Amino acid sequence: MMTFLTLLFKILVFPGFLFVTVIGLLLAGIDRKVLARMQKRVGPPIVQPVYDFFKLMGKETIIPSAANKAAFLTAPVVGLVSLVVLMLFIPVFSYSAFSGSADMIVVLYLLTIPGVALIVGGSASGSPYAGIGISREMVAMMAYELPLVMVLLSVAKKAGGDSLCFSLQDIVAWQAANGCGAFHWSLIPAALAMLLVIPAEVGTQPFDVAEAETEICEGPLIEYSGAPLAVFKLNTALKMFVMTALFTALFFGGIDTGIVALNALILVAICVVLTILCMTTVHAVTARLKVEHLFKFYWTTVAGLAAASLVLVWIGL
Amino acid sequence: MFNKLIAKSTGKSPWIFHVNTGSCNGCDIELVAALTPRYDAERFGFKLAGTPRHADIVVVSGPITSQSKDRLIRTLEQVPEPKCVVTLGSCPQSGNVFKGSYSVEAPLEKFVHVDVAIAGCTPKPEAVIEGLYKAAEILQRKREAMKK
Repeated sequence: MMTFLTLLFKILVFPGFLFVTVIGLLLAGIDRKVLARMQKRVGPPIVQPVYDFFKLMGKETIIPSAANKAAFLTAPVVGLVSLVVLMLFIPVFSYSAFSGSADMIVVLYLLTIPGVALIVGGSASGSPYAGIGISREMVAMMAYELPLVMVLLSVAKKAGGDSLCFSLQDIVAWQAANGCGAFHWSLIPAALAMLLVIPAEVGTQPFDVAEAETEICEGPLIEYSGAPLAVFKLNTALKMFVMTALFTALFFGGIDTGIVALNALILVAICVVLTILCMTTVHAVTARLKVEHLFKFYWTTVAGLAAASLVLVWIGL
Repeated sequence: MFNKLIAKSTGKSPWIFHVNTGSCNGCDIELVAALTPRYDAERFGFKLAGTPRHADIVVVSGPITSQSKDRLIRTLEQVPEPKCVVTLGSCPQSGNVFKGSYSVEAPLEKFVHVDVAIAGCTPKPEAVIEGLYKAAEILQRKREAMKK
């Protein structure tokens, strides 16, 4: 009974649903506020994403007659659930809710599900704009998955030594013993590549080809209204937190104070810095890329950085 | 508990969808000016939405040409409840200088209920923001009146 209750607490409160939601929405709010300040605007209040979420919850949900109702309504929920499960696998420094010998592989698979949910939801809505959006989303996913896999492989090899170490828990423990991943110079190219993967995974400005709102009217989300749209917007906010938390686990996992609450606080602080660094700043200074440019950028520059790190790690540096 | 929060949020995050029904582009420019860093309507939560499905407030500019009338009404029907209709400039309110033309169907009030009318040819961005803010307040009241 007790184990069941602690499991429930982990899934619903910390580090599960409540924690991820609150911090994700906070990060999204900070992103909008800092972006506004960079453009010399006052900007919306930091709680604006919360207002947006609850407003959309209260709106009427329209299901288009051309849509497949079941897929249209379940897709956002599937994305949300996979993101919450993802956070259970990512360690908050020394603390992690679930851990296994190969949770990095699980994380890799779970990371694709929000994108797939967007594709399924968009294609179920039966709109031609959504069709363009999902084809772009697929290309973007192919573009950033390759560097992401190479980044994870190089960290796994570095932490594992002779063999590959696919357990995030062990990688964090290795970093606690040997210094953070970002301070090993052979992993610095991988860290840079990962920083560039984060905005594409979340879908912020220069890489938001799928949801280009000025061009194809938010692509896959075009027919969504009310609660399903709210959940999709929440998914974007959660992705911000999950991706930055994954970066922290891979490259700054060595910081450990021993107190879970303090660890969580440090994690949130690092996530805020990372959000401003790799999403807000990049958003403020760039315009949207074309989808073929995005693909080229990820398979040459970013994949090149990740490959450099992989080679350096593999020859034992 | 949630109903109160939802009603408050509805007034705090109004998303705008803009329909041009044959406007001369003057009002459209002023609406965009209201969203730029100088006037920054985003501090009240206003955001320009790309599709009527995401919108709360529909801003109509132009004297409603006969060609655009049916399309406008169809667009307004696609907006989920609660919603507000705002007319921008004198054209959709009275027809302005186009009044009496065979191809113009203004005023908009003949076809749909208009919540806020921003007058002027063209209205200043300050007036646009004030009008939209009033629309957001009406939106909140509409949400409170909705029985859930």
